[in-house]
Amino acid sequence: MFQFISGSLWRRTSFIVKGLRGKQSKNRCSSGLCDADTIFALSSGHGRCGVAVVRVSGPASGLVLSSLAGQTHSRTAPRTARLCNIINPRSQELLDRGLVLWFPGPRSFTGEDSVEFHIHGGLAVISGVLQALGSLPGVRPAEAGEFTRRAFHAGKLDLTEVEGLGDLIHAETEAQRRQALRQMAGDLGRLYLDWSQRLIRCLAHVEAYIDFSEDELIEDGVLNQVDSAVSKLQTEVERHLRDGRRGERLRSGVQVVIAGNTNAGKSSLLNVLCQRPAAIVSPVAGTTRDVVETHVDISGFPVLLSDTAGLRDTLDSVEREGVRRARERVEQADLTLAVLDAVHLPRTPGGVPDFLLAHLGALLPGGEGREEAWRRSLLVLNKSDLLTAEHAAEVQSALDGAQGLPPSCLLSCQTGQGLDGFMEALEKQVKTLCGDPLSGAPSLTQARHRAHLQQCVEALAQYHHYRDLDLALAAEGVRLALTSLGRITGKVGAEEILDVIFRDFCIGK
Amino acid sequence: MLLRKLLLRPNRPQFPICRTACDFPLKKYDVIVVGGGHAGTEAAAAAARVGAETLLITQKIQTIGALSCNPSLGGVGKGQLVREVDSLDGLCGRAGDWAGFHFSILNRRKGPAVWGPRAQLDRERYRQFIQAELLATPRLTVLEGSVEDLLVSDPNPHQPGQHRVTGIRLADDGQPVSSSSIVLTTGTFLSGSLFLGQTTSPGGRIGDPPSCAGLSHSLREKMGLRTGRLRTGTPPRIVKKTVELSLAEIRPPDKQPTPFSFLNKQTHCKPEEQLPCYLTYTTPGVERIVKESVHLNCHIQQDTKGPRYCPSIESRVQRFPGRSHQVWLEPEGLESDLIYPQGLSMTLPPDRQLCLLREIPALKRAEIQTPGYGVQYDFVCPMQLSPSLQVKRVQGLFLAGQINGTTGYEEAAAQGLWAGVNAGRTALSLPALSLSRTQSYIGVLIDDLVCRGVTEPYRMFTSRAEYRTALRPDNADLRLSPRGFEEIGCVSEQRYREALRVRDSLRDALSTMQSISMSSARWREKLADVNVSKSKSTVLSALELLQYNGVSFEMLASAFPECLSMYLEFSQRLKSEATYLPHCEKQKQEMERIREEESLSLPLDVDYFSLPISLSQEVREVLDNVRPHTLGAATRLPGMTPAAIVHLLNYVRKTGQERHKERNVNVSK
Repeated sequence: MFQFISGSLWRRTSFIVKGLRGKQSKNRCSSGLCDADTIFALSSGHGRCGVAVVRVSGPASGLVLSSLAGQTHSRTAPRTARLCNIINPRSQELLDRGLVLWFPGPRSFTGEDSVEFHIHGGLAVISGVLQALGSLPGVRPAEAGEFTRRAFHAGKLDLTEVEGLGDLIHAETEAQRRQALRQMAGDLGRLYLDWSQRLIRCLAHVEAYIDFSEDELIEDGVLNQVDSAVSKLQTEVERHLRDGRRGERLRSGVQVVIAGNTNAGKSSLLNVLCQRPAAIVSPVAGTTRDVVETHVDISGFPVLLSDTAGLRDTLDSVEREGVRRARERVEQADLTLAVLDAVHLPRTPGGVPDFLLAHLGALLPGGEGREEAWRRSLLVLNKSDLLTAEHAAEVQSALDGAQGLPPSCLLSCQTGQGLDGFMEALEKQVKTLCGDPLSGAPSLTQARHRAHLQQCVEALAQYHHYRDLDLALAAEGVRLALTSLGRITGKVGAEEILDVIFRDFCIGK
Repeated sequence: MLLRKLLLRPNRPQFPICRTACDFPLKKYDVIVVGGGHAGTEAAAAAARVGAETLLITQKIQTIGALSCNPSLGGVGKGQLVREVDSLDGLCGRAGDWAGFHFSILNRRKGPAVWGPRAQLDRERYRQFIQAELLATPRLTVLEGSVEDLLVSDPNPHQPGQHRVTGIRLADDGQPVSSSSIVLTTGTFLSGSLFLGQTTSPGGRIGDPPSCAGLSHSLREKMGLRTGRLRTGTPPRIVKKTVELSLAEIRPPDKQPTPFSFLNKQTHCKPEEQLPCYLTYTTPGVERIVKESVHLNCHIQQDTKGPRYCPSIESRVQRFPGRSHQVWLEPEGLESDLIYPQGLSMTLPPDRQLCLLREIPALKRAEIQTPGYGVQYDFVCPMQLSPSLQVKRVQGLFLAGQINGTTGYEEAAAQGLWAGVNAGRTALSLPALSLSRTQSYIGVLIDDLVCRGVTEPYRMFTSRAEYRTALRPDNADLRLSPRGFEEIGCVSEQRYREALRVRDSLRDALSTMQSISMSSARWREKLADVNVSKSKSTVLSALELLQYNGVSFEMLASAFPECLSMYLEFSQRLKSEATYLPHCEKQKQEMERIREEESLSLPLDVDYFSLPISLSQEVREVLDNVRPHTLGAATRLPGMTPAAIVHLLNYVRKTGQERHKERNVNVSK
């Protein structure tokens, strides 16, 4: 019933948010965001880099230029780099010294007024600038593909470029979805979902009062309850925004997850990759029961490597929880290393591809994210030292000729055989991922969350403002608040509101 | 055989005119409408208005325009629909103004966007008005008879669809009547069965013969349409003189009745002649009788989907036990000796119904004239329809009303009108049209039906409309009448001129108010009793001031009589315009985006499985199943992804360009 929303268009995700009844959705969604907004995004990759580029586009770009860089747009030379101080407009604190470029529309990428900030690549600087941008009125983080879509609408892309737009948006949405999943797992997610559910109830009760109170027994008391619930929510969200708590520890870097059956050698692979015994390895199946996380550096890019419990049906409740967490991690991963024991491969080399396809099918998430998940995976056939040289060669040639499989490496963590090839393949994947400005950029997700929460608080104030003047406009405030929150937790449609109405009231006319 | 046949002529006011069988001109009609309820009458009148030669076939001419259930029209959400139907020159608004004897605006304290114009109706007068109106409609013929089957032939290869309707075959003598469009408005009669206690009988309304099973069969079997079953019910009618109204709370009407129709300045019923309604409550005794009689009640034991918001007293008691429920006692007409107990819909055996009623103090000596009963009927899953209300796979077949899974007179009338318009237009080889959900409740209703389908009888609520502050009952004429005349062709010139006059006056008044501005200190001097909370030097326009609570247009007009007093007839409308102006401005861009997406149409006959664009299997299945008409509708489907939408958009633009090129090539040849 809850949907993940992205951009002006929306998608239903294959996951069901924990703790919510996962009824099949029949939601609608309107194109909620409009081009009147000014959007920003980090458009450089997030790997260890000297310079990060933050792009801003929309009517308030001039305001951004004057607020952050202290320049008046009418007096700024267009399309010329200029070194200046970048300050937080609220606190006047210096964020960074960097290059600023002003692109007045229509001669810009999106056809709108745009600003580019070239700042230092440190995480603190980037998130400081993003937060400062998000605090300006009418400025919000871009949704997936929004820059490109605006360029498209402004006629700035030719047809061949448009061809790629769908795939680009798809990739960006997927990246955002994974990032949001990480952010949403845990206490913060529970908090947002709780707010969202309370807001649904508030809206349902206001709507019930509007649509039914003339004929039914719905007392004015209902509205008083809504008043206090809205006030309470307002205070809570405001406090949350004020306390500057950056949520849970941000997991930055490309998320690489090692997954596979028990005793395939996942922990050995982890240890090989970080060149120290980070995880306990033993011949006993089910040794790793929880997720073991390690930060590693792969050809200069930050990677968060997670070793997970082996996937198997088990009666042990601790291990079962470990398996559940492992599956969750795979769902959220930027890259999955699917490890399996080469000894378990079929004897006949011809059967190898089908066997591997079936194996991946069981391991990786299915549904909508399937294709994407397959694209972001590496097959690791461990324990090649246990195969005869002849068999290993046959397997290798079967792998080379196989269709529809992700890159596959036959190796042995024990002897180091095949590790070079594997490292090469891994580096290639990590590099591609880091070139993607969205994957693993938690500060951006966070800026987005803050912006939506800010809108939510403002909309709740609208409820109070109109409460006694015009209930239709007051209800609109609650609707807006729910839409803003829904951009974090998932969209809520008219039917869900009606469901609550009919559950809570006896409507009989 | 046909019992009676008649040809309605506009110049003969008497009704009905009986004719013999041989007078019936067997000719080809443009449109045949089957059914004479709220959907059927609006459909027939609308088809005739757009210029189609139309035949309305009903089982009983006498019941044309009958109010089968509650004697009232309008309400919250529904009142908006009535206003919109009226703005497109439909019948029900004017009929309500003629037949109403108790008018009130619901939700008066909650803001004009959600006001609900409502009236208690005199059944007799309502029916007379509708019948007279149809009689006076040029190009419209009414025939009493029963339809046995639809005549179907091969589809027109240039249009999507697997079948094409060519007419109907009448029951009894099997006489065919041909037409290029057919509107089915069978209400509860499609395989309808009546439930009363433990007895079940075929039929759609008590006292009327059941309709032919052939129709339901051919929709399912011949045309392969998915159907489902829904249920509804109606309360017993009580003899008025046996009710002790003094034991119920009196609910008076508005002192000044507000007409439904934009054409009427007043209602037919004089303000002082209006009748009150009464309110009473159920008692624990009612609950006891329901519980004791469950075994005698086969309607509620079945699990066919009934409405959640119009439940029988049995299901209310079961879902919310231990409570007292409201019962409205509504007169059925000015002269009527019956009372309609709203909220007591039931299907118990008649003797138990009487016992139940008598548990309520005001009804302790009540006598029943007709018992309450339940109805179960077939509906066609509306996702098989296009936004013009035509069945996607059958060219020329339109459906409206309860057959699409809705409930309520207003919902039926709205669909009837729209189906009639499009049936007429299609027959006249004009393109079918659709209404946007950003422009009207009718658009919201149809979009919900065709994009999402129904799981229970669908009723309109204001909360279904995302843009309800823009879709107000007060501005339906501005939203629909100009388009109704200019593009749709179903609105009379008189109404069109009036709508333009109103539009221009409102625009002038708003811009005049915008131009009057002064400091809040001066405003305080000018309007003594206004509380302007802004600092003294803030400059406010009259338009901004009108947004304040407690400021009325009359106050402004008395302060500036020379430039504002000529707009006094629009005081209320100007107040609403001013109140919602800032909000509507904010929504404008969003609404335009939706409209833009809705203007990009997807071909109906496209094979989504072989479309050479990158779409997941899941998305292809959804698209193939629903076959959305426009890109806008596609974005609202469950399971759609932003990427899929972009691919579709691309496809639409490309094929659009190709078609354009083709056309140019053809022209140059």
